[in-house]
Amino acid sequence: MEKSAVGRAGEVAAVQHLVTRGYTIVERNWRCSLGEVDIIAQTPGAEPVLVFCEVKCRTGLGYGDPLEAITWRKLARLRQLALTWLGEQPGWVPRYRVDAIGVLLPRSGRPQVTHVEGVGA
Amino acid sequence: MSTARAFSVALVGVEGAIVEVEAALGGGLPRMVIVGLADAALGEARERCRAAVHSQGLGWPTQLVTVNLSPATLPKAGSHFDLAIVTSVCAAADRFDSAVLDGMVLLGELGLDGRVRSVRGLLPALLAAVASGFHTAVVPACQLGEARLVDGLTIWGVDDLLDLVAVLVGDPPPQVVRAPQQAVDTTEPVKDLSDVMGQLEAKWALEVAAAGRHHVFLHGPPGVGKTLLAERLPGLLPDLGQSEALEVSAIHSLAGLPLSDGLVRRPPFADPHHSASLASIVGGGARMALPGSISRAHRGVLFLDEASNGKCTSLSKEVTDDDEDEAAWRERAAGSGDAGGGLPGVQSDGAEHAGRGHAADLSVSAAVEVSQGQGGCDRASAS
Repeated sequence: MEKSAVGRAGEVAAVQHLVTRGYTIVERNWRCSLGEVDIIAQTPGAEPVLVFCEVKCRTGLGYGDPLEAITWRKLARLRQLALTWLGEQPGWVPRYRVDAIGVLLPRSGRPQVTHVEGVGA
Repeated sequence: MSTARAFSVALVGVEGAIVEVEAALGGGLPRMVIVGLADAALGEARERCRAAVHSQGLGWPTQLVTVNLSPATLPKAGSHFDLAIVTSVCAAADRFDSAVLDGMVLLGELGLDGRVRSVRGLLPALLAAVASGFHTAVVPACQLGEARLVDGLTIWGVDDLLDLVAVLVGDPPPQVVRAPQQAVDTTEPVKDLSDVMGQLEAKWALEVAAAGRHHVFLHGPPGVGKTLLAERLPGLLPDLGQSEALEVSAIHSLAGLPLSDGLVRRPPFADPHHSASLASIVGGGARMALPGSISRAHRGVLFLDEASNGKCTSLSKEVTDDDEDEAAWRERAAGSGDAGGGLPGVQSDGAEHAGRGHAADLSVSAAVEVSQGQGGCDRASAS
């Protein structure tokens, strides 16, 4: 599997995971000059929270857990991206947070998704 | 978020303080954080523990691992917390029933391949554990001999992480007391006064000094046998009592000397070279204080050869600084080279005030030699 294909497959798995948990997908692969946000979603419930997700996908654990590849530098950039996106919105967004989703794609079997909420705080 | 705790001991001089090692899993991206005033060696436990657990195929939690060393205000130093850290993390990950950790202290450094390495100060640490009501201890297998000197503890010696896991899941390996790594007989033959020809008055003076625990000042021309005589003073002293032997052995353990042969039973003898630095004589260190010559002579004999040539004068100043009874102290120190002190150099206030002894408890006998015509005798008097 090619590198970009692994990334795409991981994002698909992450989106499925979020949808199963009742999240609404707002946007995917939003880009600006600073970089890209993999998934922007909204939590279910009466007080929805806007969630900016960084997805990291790997096919094996030889180089460590996928989540270990999400560094503080990436998170800092993600927070910047989130603020940029929010600035472009016409309405007021009362609550938002930054999440990390690690996807492990084994050669056979279902992808394993690990979702860590609120890593940017 | 799951939490668990294990216990270890922090050393402050020769005193031990129980440290609770708490581990919490979850709440963030996978990494490990150690809080609770850890020094550099302890902070690097992060990498050692993870590599050791990986190498034994045990699996490190892919979550945020927070380790807290409590009491958080007590500075902690050394690598011997590794075993307690790994144990608390594995307990938090539900690898075994954490009830087994009640009343258990763990001491040992981990190698990257999961081996358990020996640590400094095991004996004083275990003594502190017993005093705090602990009943079980896990120690490096190569230090079982030293650990067994402490009464009232069930001791498990572990060679590597797999041994540790076996102990924790209640399937301990058979206990084998290994021979010390180097089969060196550390007990030197006691030197005897009968080696000395003549010098009847000097021998008599030494015997009086040994009997009354007095200090000795040796003064004479080169080559008359002052050093020969001084080296034989410990041989005149009686064996150490049980509590004295424990004190002396604790200091030797802190200095990193092997104690696999049992407690130190003979009064120790320390003879620092006259050019020795102040730190090597009074002891000290950034965080984990190392005993100096004075402490290594505890309950024994401190021999200051060629005293007037070296650091003795500055030493006496260091010892007496800030002492309430400074003038009297200075006179005594200058006269006899005596440093006094229950455990000078390593006593409770640690590195910063290392060397401040207690004038009341004179537990070190000192022999000072000043060669003729080299000054110093005007200041010196037999005490």
